[in-house]
Amino acid sequence: MSFKIMPKAALPDWVTWLKNRYRVVGPTARQGQYVFAEIASPDELVLDYPTSVLPPKKYLLPQRETLFTFDAQSMQMKANIEWEPTVILGVHTCDMHAIRLLDKVHATGYTDQHYQAHRQHTTLVSIECLSPCMEHSFCKSMGTLTVPEDYDLHLTDLGDSYGVDVGSEKGEALLQGFTAIWDPTSEDYQRINKVMAEKWPRFSYRLNFDVTELPDLLALSNNSSLWNELGDICLGCGQCTKVCPTCYCFDVRDEVDLSLTKGERTRTWDSCQIDRFATVAGGHNFRSTRALRNRHRFMRKGKYHLEAYGLIGCVGCGRCAAACLVHITPVDTFNELYRRHKKGELLEEAKQA
Amino acid sequence: MSAKPKVAFFEFTSCEGCQLTVVDSLQDHPELLDAVEIVQFREAISEKGEDYAIAFIEGSCSRPSDEPKLQAIRQQAAIVVALGACAHLGGINAIRNRMPLQEVREYVYGDRAEWFETYEPRPIKDVIKVDAVIPGCPIDRREFIKAVTHLLQGRMPFIPDQPLCMECKLKENICVYTRGKVCLGPITLAGCDAICPTYGDGCEGCRGLIANPNIEAMRQVMHEHGLTDEAIDAKLSMFLTNQIMALEEAG
Repeated sequence: MSFKIMPKAALPDWVTWLKNRYRVVGPTARQGQYVFAEIASPDELVLDYPTSVLPPKKYLLPQRETLFTFDAQSMQMKANIEWEPTVILGVHTCDMHAIRLLDKVHATGYTDQHYQAHRQHTTLVSIECLSPCMEHSFCKSMGTLTVPEDYDLHLTDLGDSYGVDVGSEKGEALLQGFTAIWDPTSEDYQRINKVMAEKWPRFSYRLNFDVTELPDLLALSNNSSLWNELGDICLGCGQCTKVCPTCYCFDVRDEVDLSLTKGERTRTWDSCQIDRFATVAGGHNFRSTRALRNRHRFMRKGKYHLEAYGLIGCVGCGRCAAACLVHITPVDTFNELYRRHKKGELLEEAKQA
Repeated sequence: MSAKPKVAFFEFTSCEGCQLTVVDSLQDHPELLDAVEIVQFREAISEKGEDYAIAFIEGSCSRPSDEPKLQAIRQQAAIVVALGACAHLGGINAIRNRMPLQEVREYVYGDRAEWFETYEPRPIKDVIKVDAVIPGCPIDRREFIKAVTHLLQGRMPFIPDQPLCMECKLKENICVYTRGKVCLGPITLAGCDAICPTYGDGCEGCRGLIANPNIEAMRQVMHEHGLTDEAIDAKLSMFLTNQIMALEEAG
């Protein structure tokens, strides 16, 4: 929509200005790592953070959420649809791609009203990544190193100022009445072109093949022995799915108080990597081994989402790889499948099955 | 609702810390006393009613003479709940199960070892049928209230079978492994709201193992983080001796 320049010196004032109008959340330091949290004071905000433990999706799909409350005596129930006007500052482009997928998932079929309420009242301020955030990220391979069009504002670090792309009216509203921004000069344009040109070579392609081949590669790998190898070392702890920006599976429970009259139905993030996840009534577990569960996760990230929603389910953030205590990573997994494919092993195993 | 269900508390080999947690839970939930009638509870009341329907049993069974007492409770109670790690797993009492029993007895009781009967501490489910378990050392007070609520609803207390890492990550704790400590979270049943990692310590496994844990991988992770085989054995024996021994036996 438009492009503005905000001097870095004005950032604290802008955050304070936003805080008077919205709940403002952003990356903050915690014990050597970074978490998205409410910004109490502008100096807590760390916009040049590497990555966060949990992705910002937690503001759209909270870890625990009450769906409705009920009263067993009056036989009444009441939907609990909560929202708070929120600005999320400093969303990396991989997480923006993830939110794009979550938006699609939660608007398809029965729309998820809880998600919708959070989403509609959330304004996303993304930030351009100028160098790799950590060893495990592989955004360039996954095509998520540029921001998708869903941003409200998009910041680019230009040294002593930020370039501010305005992507929506919601984004524009974050600047309305804030005076310490100006229209770019020709030097500003030169600067942003230089920054954008220089950033690209800093990132490497980490998949040994083009991502468009990934769904077919996975289709061929259904009977690969690699899944058993992963199943042997996997702890089944579920951390990979907890930190994933595109995972959205949840478990639903009813709890009542001790008087057995009032209660609530809540949902909590769940994980396809834990033993009981695919256990159905009658006790049958249709993904009873860690091997099957690992295969399911990688299929979902690299193939199923694409088929169902037209968007790939892995955005290359690298969080799962960083969290995994036994070093299972999407890059190694996909590359190993590709290596075996090149040797003809996948086809051989597919035939044998 | 009909009359309040009568509830009794019992203790075997334990520190009675789980029952103290029950007393503690009354601070947040005094309405518990409106929901049930406690007829026997050594930690809190002098009365000793024998007409209970629900028995909460703390402690492991560590002597042959515990067995008839447990059986008597089972005979009276419609529902028996194992309260805490000792009743659930054998608890820290079971550390000695990897050692020769006679040596242990002599170490503890000296030349009077023969005066005291004792055998391998075991979970009470090895002696009587147990309907439900509230795990932990000590139990989690919120989980206790939840379990009572479930019982009042006429269903068995339900604790999701998932590893501690799940809860820990929901809280966005920084993994204790990255803070230079060792943790049994990946193989331990969640439900304590990851209290130890939240306050900076690794999980000791007091709530017992998840279903189908990958013990070998867990050992490998601890090894990678600097623990010797001996230290790993010690880590896995604090609360998990009986469960790990059973897994070894099953192959």
